[in-house]
Amino acid sequence: MAFERNPETKLSHTAAMILQAVDAGFVYGFSIMEMTGLPSGTVYPAMRRLERDELIRSSWEKQSIADAEQRPLRKYYKLTAAGRATLENSRKRYPLLERLISSEEARSV
Amino acid sequence: MRTPMGIADRVVDGMARGLDLCLLRGAWLLVPSAQRAEWWCEWYGELWEARRAYAGDAFSWKVERAIAGFCVGAFQDAAYLRRLARLPDGKRRARLPLKFGSAWQCILVLALLLGGSFTLARLLPGVRAERSLLRHGVRSGLVLIEDANNEDSPRTISSGQYRAWKDRKQEFFDGFAFYRVTRERVNWRLGGMGAGESAGWGVGRASSNFFVLLGLPIRFRGTGGGADAEMPSLILSESLWKQEFGADPHVAGSVVRVGTRWATITGVTPAGPRGLPGKVDAWLLEPDAQMVPSGAGYVVAHLSASGISRMDAAQIPITSYSPHRSPDDLLGVSLGNEIPGQWDVFCFGVLLAFLALPAITSLSFGELSVSVHRISWVRRVWRWGFLGAKVALLLPIVYFVSLDAAYGFTGFNASQALYVQMATTFFLCLFGMQWVLSDQRQRCPVCLRRVVHPARVGQFSSLFLAWSGTELMCMNGHALLHVPSLPTSWFGSQRWMFMDSSWDFLFAGAVRE
Repeated sequence: MAFERNPETKLSHTAAMILQAVDAGFVYGFSIMEMTGLPSGTVYPAMRRLERDELIRSSWEKQSIADAEQRPLRKYYKLTAAGRATLENSRKRYPLLERLISSEEARSV
Repeated sequence: MRTPMGIADRVVDGMARGLDLCLLRGAWLLVPSAQRAEWWCEWYGELWEARRAYAGDAFSWKVERAIAGFCVGAFQDAAYLRRLARLPDGKRRARLPLKFGSAWQCILVLALLLGGSFTLARLLPGVRAERSLLRHGVRSGLVLIEDANNEDSPRTISSGQYRAWKDRKQEFFDGFAFYRVTRERVNWRLGGMGAGESAGWGVGRASSNFFVLLGLPIRFRGTGGGADAEMPSLILSESLWKQEFGADPHVAGSVVRVGTRWATITGVTPAGPRGLPGKVDAWLLEPDAQMVPSGAGYVVAHLSASGISRMDAAQIPITSYSPHRSPDDLLGVSLGNEIPGQWDVFCFGVLLAFLALPAITSLSFGELSVSVHRISWVRRVWRWGFLGAKVALLLPIVYFVSLDAAYGFTGFNASQALYVQMATTFFLCLFGMQWVLSDQRQRCPVCLRRVVHPARVGQFSSLFLAWSGTELMCMNGHALLHVPSLPTSWFGSQRWMFMDSSWDFLFAGAVRE
């Protein structure tokens, strides 16, 4: 059973930063960690919580892509509709969020 | 330009990679089994990304530390998944009553450690025997007399010498007891029913005044009922009583055959005195007339008042003159009383640790007064009370762990065990107190929760232009902790910056007080 999250629900600053990072294109755990500057012990449990609350969704990339790039498989995260609505709401509460993590940075990585 | 790794660096690099994988595997064990395969796949991939991002061609301890720190985070992730799996679906968002890093969690962990070390001390037979010994201490002023010319270890004395001293008036001693340890075959049949049992025991054949002279207690003291009054008494050690007689309290009065002689069990002694040579399972108290005249054994003497005044060291040389006036060189070794007890050693170790503490850590808790915020006196009392509780829990932990280390596992003799206890007490107390102080410094003065999320602020190279250091925050939104990277005249120690209610929006869901 999943939890229904009201988009009006307040997220902590950490959770909001992670949502913003995912939205900005930092779509796997380590890249989110690097972008937010949060330690691994905070980022991964927070992503589990966000996934549990259906604000983000995870999927494994195709094996052929990982093989082509000669690296292990990555687990990618992306925002759900509820996550996007919650993030919009969080941006109003944390106006600096977008400036802290912008999608231009993700593109340049 | 990066230099390629040498062979030594490659070896260390390989070991570091192995350690990282071990850390991940350790965390993997915490993950619920249904999620393990996917969890491992994700973290293995993330570790690869971390290594690619951090590591260069050359080996660097700094990089390895950062990667190891990354792997340690896997434990928190695994613990979270485990906690989530344990909760029923409807309650998965419920919070645990003990928040991570809270004061209660710290107290609980310390209490669990104390309970564990205390239970271990109660279970380990070596520690129990030592405690029993302390409870039933021997009389003061007892010495073991050894023959200084005898090369045996420990050095024995003939029963003839014992008789000669015992019968003569002594200035420095007011009582002597003699014993020798032999291995005997013992047969017994409790209640006169069933098949008899037989075993080989270490029997201490002692003079009848042995227990009186040493002041050792005897439990279940019995006279032997209708048994022959001339029959020697047999006093069992507590361990033998439990092992062979199942701790039967009615064992007193039973008749057993020790070697070729019959003896009556007259009681159980909790423990033998510290420092007596020979491993004794049972003491056979024989009248002097029945003692073997030519056997060699050990003599225990009790010092008279004038003897005590002369006994100014743990060992003193004694010269005895036989009836033919030929001098015998002897050695009097104090029994037990000169050796400090566990409590004395513990107190001394703690004292030394407290004296050494300022050498390894700062005793300051940082500056609170730089802010306009004032902490209520209740919070101040609670803060100091928490510090006191940590110290109060740490000291008994140190005590019990030091006992476990000294007496639990090894065959140390009494003085070696005291050294082990001393060293364990000192180091545990020293580093334990260092942890107590450093933990206290990193706790929010308002809610006592540990501050988290360290963030580097400023640049070390700009130290004289701006503040440089680490900033940590209270997850309840009470305060920020600023720790300078290098103490300066204007920023010598860590400072707390309290946050007012305008910061509340940053800490959604946090409880402000």
